Amino acid sequence: MEKYVAFAIKYGFLIVMAGSFLGFGLLEPSFWSWSNMFSILLGVTIVGILALGVTFTLIIDGFDLSIGSTAAICVMISSYVMVVLDMNYMYAILLSILLGVTIGLVNGLLIVKAKIPDLLATLGMMFLIQGLQLIPSAGMSIGTGMMLADGSEAEGEFAKEFLFLGQGRLFGMIPIPVIAFALLAIVIYFVLQYTKWGRILYAIGGNEKAVKLAGVNVERYKIAAYVISGTISSIAGILLAARIGRGDVTSGGGLLLDAVAGALIGYAVLGVKKPNALGSVVGVIFIGMLLNGLTMLSLPYYTQDFIKGVVLVCALIFTFGLSKSEI
Amino acid sequence: MKSSKPIIEAKNISKTFGATKALKDVSFDFYEGEIFSIVGANGAGKSTFIKIICGYYADYEGEIYIDGKLVKFESPRDAYEAGIQVVHQSIEQGIVQNMSVAENLALDMIVSPEARFIYEKKSILKRAKEIAKKMNLEHLDMEQNIQDITQSQKQMIIIARALAKKPKLLILDEPTSSISDREATMLFETLYKLRDEGVSILFVSHYLAEVKKISNRVGVIKDGKFGGVLHQPVEVQQIVKAMVGDLESEFERKDEIKSEKNLLLELKELVVEGSSEPINIKIYSGEIVGLLGLIGAGKTELAETLFGIRKPVSGEIIIKDERVVFKNIHQAIKHGVHMVPENRAVNAIVPEESIKDNITLPFLDFFSKMGVLSKKNEIKAAKRMIGDMGIKCEGYDAYIESLSGGNQQKVIVARWLLMKHNIVILDEPFQGVDIKSRRDISLYLQESTKKSAVLMISSDIDELVDVTDRILVMNKGKILGEEKTSQVDRDKLLALITQE
Repeated sequence: MEKYVAFAIKYGFLIVMAGSFLGFGLLEPSFWSWSNMFSILLGVTIVGILALGVTFTLIIDGFDLSIGSTAAICVMISSYVMVVLDMNYMYAILLSILLGVTIGLVNGLLIVKAKIPDLLATLGMMFLIQGLQLIPSAGMSIGTGMMLADGSEAEGEFAKEFLFLGQGRLFGMIPIPVIAFALLAIVIYFVLQYTKWGRILYAIGGNEKAVKLAGVNVERYKIAAYVISGTISSIAGILLAARIGRGDVTSGGGLLLDAVAGALIGYAVLGVKKPNALGSVVGVIFIGMLLNGLTMLSLPYYTQDFIKGVVLVCALIFTFGLSKSEI
Repeated sequence: MKSSKPIIEAKNISKTFGATKALKDVSFDFYEGEIFSIVGANGAGKSTFIKIICGYYADYEGEIYIDGKLVKFESPRDAYEAGIQVVHQSIEQGIVQNMSVAENLALDMIVSPEARFIYEKKSILKRAKEIAKKMNLEHLDMEQNIQDITQSQKQMIIIARALAKKPKLLILDEPTSSISDREATMLFETLYKLRDEGVSILFVSHYLAEVKKISNRVGVIKDGKFGGVLHQPVEVQQIVKAMVGDLESEFERKDEIKSEKNLLLELKELVVEGSSEPINIKIYSGEIVGLLGLIGAGKTELAETLFGIRKPVSGEIIIKDERVVFKNIHQAIKHGVHMVPENRAVNAIVPEESIKDNITLPFLDFFSKMGVLSKKNEIKAAKRMIGDMGIKCEGYDAYIESLSGGNQQKVIVARWLLMKHNIVILDEPFQGVDIKSRRDISLYLQESTKKSAVLMISSDIDELVDVTDRILVMNKGKILGEEKTSQVDRDKLLALITQE
């Protein structure tokens, strides 16, 4: 019995995933087409990148609620730079990343130096950013031809190179954002799994005090985790801006919860019970695949959040419920 | 013993976990009005036995009789209702923070399903006072917050609450592990009183001197099997022998290694934070020095100053002729000062990580190139330490929680002995460590201390006498005296540590 439970904890999730992959394809052969595969992947890249970012803070037993709004403000800032200020797209990218780094740094300082609990500090930051992103455009979405405060029309437009980041395809097939997602995932997986930085981040999540007493500057690592989270969020924001091609004020909605759900589902992958890069990637892909497959089988769109919730709860049961608890 | 019939009998208790037989045909019985101790090396099956009579495992084999009647425990609730009360090792788990003393005492009344919807302050206070009386706790301020009283007072409250249930058997699991010697003496007085009133007490402790002192009978579990019951008068040596068999002979003491050439660490007029007493200590390479003192004597503060956690107020720390000032722990480690902190669960163990990762934690720079870890070198190092220290485990990749307490401590000691160092400080290294593991650690320290030195901090004379070459006594921040371990005079040391 114990053996089966151990097997279920380790491989159960992947088996369910493989099973649904087969099932959808058998019911709806076009599910297995290359174009559909890439459409699933493209659909999850933004959320997937954010999930990779939140993985860092989850690892140190923290949390970053501001990832979604950081991505959203980067959408607005890149649009503003290109459309309203009519500046080169490189400035849009640089400014976005700089903003992500800054938000992460402020989060880290609030949590480590001002000793505000992580959830509260990043909740506050989330609100702040959501409000801030509305200010430059007076609450309106940014697009070429929009009316500016002085009565003139915005003349700048999204650079072709910038749009390529979101809409382009390599060899006319593989979407650029998917490539960015894959590269980022590989780098992060490597850092977390094979470097001393990854090891120390995990150890901090396990017992911060022990790591401190091992001579590690724990504060610096914790701040770094939030900076990385902010930076990765800004990358997601840039790709999102490039994909939608305008500064949509509503673009950040839902990103946070979807990303966190993906990272939490990731705990169940291979039964590691910890936040991990592979798990976060597999988690968001699983949700994307499920929604894609069910939509093909004409599932109404309004049931999507319900499905995500069911998957998350089931994954959490896999992770925590099946393992033997003490007392 | 007041009665000749046991009130609780456990007969031929066995328990298997997967393929391992944790317990095989262990039988003990408990009588009214006696203190019965159960001892056993870590991993011997002591806690499994206790968990079974507390109802945590429903799938045990064997029989439990209460007042001659066969009972079958399916859950902790069953054992609780049958009159078995446990006071667990962790004091913090036994009390509810943010509640007052009275509320903690009358907790059962507050959480009982019959409790009225409206909070009845008066009747709670009355009930709390009744419970407090039993343990002579009436003098406590009932209204104050539980966080404002001492550890031992908290513990007394937990025991009082257990007694209010009029238990057939009161189990105390490692009750002295987080209170001072003086508080322990007070606890024992209370236990004697309860015993004389007819309460049957099951006492579990790693401190064999305590076991010898307070028990009427001592039950031994050895390798999961019944190891006999020893009656008073009993000697510590006898208990040890029953637990682990014969141990190797005494260690060799290094008496004369002092010479200026070997001087390793010198503290010159060092004044530690929170004290005004200058400390002067010389430690030579190759020796194991004990630092003895009660809780609050300033030992930990001194250790933390040497390890770069606190800054000295004034004075000098000199390592191998070089005056050092540590701004942080990292710098202390760089200068070869390593420290095994007290209380491994809080300060040292990284849970859900492997033995290997726990061992190499402070030295990841050494095991990595440009940040990328060389797992091969790590594994080699971990395997070496596991072998050298006799860490009982399934392999270097096993989670640290899968080890017994003694073996976990070995891992933490291994962490700091792994790399070359000048001095390693061990703060209360034998807390919650069984006698066999204690021996293994001591032997390894003796063998490996050649060019380096060990400073072992403890409030237990016997622990220090066991391993050290000489013992320094600390009292209220001051070094009061020094003795060679080979000619140690316990009474004199005891007088020094307790001197007002």
